[in-house]
Amino acid sequence: MKISVSRQHIYLLSILIFLLIFVLIFSFAVLIPEGKEYRKNRVEFQKESKELRRYQNFHNEVEARLKELQGENRHIITAFDATFDPYRFQKQHRNYFSSLRLSQLTQVSDDDEFIAYEVNTTSEISSPKSFYDFLDAVNKSDWIISIEFPINFKRDGEMIKSSFTMKVFYANSDKNTTKPLVNEVTE
Amino acid sequence: MKYSYITPRRKSAFTTEVQLLVIFFSITLVMLFITYLFLLFKDYNFLSDMDDIVVVQSELNINIKDMKEQITFIEKENLLAQKVYTQNTVLKDSIANLFDLVPQRITLSEAKLLENGLVLYGVTPNKDVYNFMLQAPLRSIFHRTYSSFHPAENGWLHFVSTNYIDEEINLSEGVYNEN
Repeated sequence: MKISVSRQHIYLLSILIFLLIFVLIFSFAVLIPEGKEYRKNRVEFQKESKELRRYQNFHNEVEARLKELQGENRHIITAFDATFDPYRFQKQHRNYFSSLRLSQLTQVSDDDEFIAYEVNTTSEISSPKSFYDFLDAVNKSDWIISIEFPINFKRDGEMIKSSFTMKVFYANSDKNTTKPLVNEVTE
Repeated sequence: MKYSYITPRRKSAFTTEVQLLVIFFSITLVMLFITYLFLLFKDYNFLSDMDDIVVVQSELNINIKDMKEQITFIEKENLLAQKVYTQNTVLKDSIANLFDLVPQRITLSEAKLLENGLVLYGVTPNKDVYNFMLQAPLRSIFHRTYSSFHPAENGWLHFVSTNYIDEEINLSEGVYNEN
């Protein structure tokens, strides 16, 4: 029995087989590996996104903690950054003394974080209570000041002459920046 | 010479079957290419986004490190400020206690508050008043107390009371030397 296939059908079959092979090769050699790569990248991306969200949450927590601390310690932070102004200091605390004299500010220590300056003070007070009130006021002043030993009290008629040293602390935000030294001032 | 009564059909390579085949495979190939392009675009997007994430993470890391340093510094500032405030308050209480310690009958003329000691100058009617009313409480506070007297013009006694608190290290050194 002779099978008769027309030439046209042979051409048609050839094109069909060629295109089918092309589709198969394209699918298995290009499309499927690319799909696998896509899935790998998607998993990696989701992992990275999760990690980023974790970072952002932690960042937000740290930022909230910083804001909270800044809010709670606003006075202390401002006080550490404030340059000591003897005129302002005298103006703020003149009520506690009959007279108040401050010597020149001298630097006594300088570490990575804080600089301390010392200023010798001589004053006259009418009663010890004025000095107690002064110590209370120093804790609320615009600077971080500690009253240092030695402290001398000497009776002078109805008044008490007192002399003591104050230590003023600054935050050492920039080691190259030096705080201006203040000349002796007398009220 | 004419062999047929009908006019011949025009023959073309694009027969109906071929056209069908071409349309079918064209649609298939277009869909495959679109899928491939979509995958390429998404891959590029993922890689680009991941690069961005790395940059953002690095910025967040720097920010977190910076904020942590700020937090540590504020905590140190707070600690130092509280220490200073406490020191001032303790000093105020110490001075108040000192002046409360001095009885009415004894008059102080000078007081020197040292880091580990106290020197008092004043006048007392007699030694007994000084010993019972001032020296006794001073002895209970300080480790070493020395007193000296010299007569005043009105018959009272000028006194100088020197009092020291021994530092912990001095005590241990003392014990070591005694042994």
